[in-house]
Amino acid sequence: MGLVQRAIEAAGLPTVSISLVKALTLQVRPPRAVFLRWPLGHPLGEPGHRAQQRQVLLDALGLLETAPAPGALLEPGYRWRCHKYEGE
Amino acid sequence: MAGPMALRRGLNQLVARLLTRFPGLVDRWAKGRSFAPVAGDGPWAPLAKPLARCKVALVTTGGVHLKSQPPFDMANPDGDPTFREIPLGAPRGEIVITHDYYDHRSADRDLNVIFPLDRLEELAREGRIGGLAPLHLGFMGHVDGPLVGRLVNETAPAAARRLAETGADAVLLTPA
Repeated sequence: MGLVQRAIEAAGLPTVSISLVKALTLQVRPPRAVFLRWPLGHPLGEPGHRAQQRQVLLDALGLLETAPAPGALLEPGYRWRCHKYEGE
Repeated sequence: MAGPMALRRGLNQLVARLLTRFPGLVDRWAKGRSFAPVAGDGPWAPLAKPLARCKVALVTTGGVHLKSQPPFDMANPDGDPTFREIPLGAPRGEIVITHDYYDHRSADRDLNVIFPLDRLEELAREGRIGGLAPLHLGFMGHVDGPLVGRLVNETAPAAARRLAETGADAVLLTPA
């Protein structure tokens, strides 16, 4: 995914990705990424969990405005199935 | 020859479920491999206007495609570097997942887990983003061997051109 992200950024479009495997993201160094220590297959969280999915989206899209330089990695630290999200 | 193929797909799906259950295994696997690390900072395209005026496109490597499109190649052990175009407004029931290399039962129940079209539409209604881009893309994240070159040199740049020419201002990528 990092390779696709870099290609899109190289075409002039700002990109941000969600990462579930930090070791991989540290190697590929995409322009902007949000890392979540969550199970594979769940980048936005749990099925039907609107507040959680929304928070991840806001974090990721927010990074488009705030990331200072290539390789920006945000780690909000939400614990899987433990964190309380705004609006719950 | 349906037998060996079915067995291989079954094994891949079993491994995928184990990796979802035990994320520590994924970390160990990732640390032991080299993923084409790139020297230097790499490309950088700053946001050209406020997010509230940007049309956002989704790109996933989670194997998302339309029922009417050919599914991703699950027979080639090196994977499939091609992508599928999901136009804005495609009926949700038409969007499916073909990907044996991760456990997508959660995303099958709620597509927003990997391809958050509904959540983005809510943010658009609230004015947090300008809207959704007219075109969104699905890749299948398992790409290996000689097909990595095809991804880097052909399909990823082609995908980027499609997003740019159809009017996306920013892109969110989600993994399997």
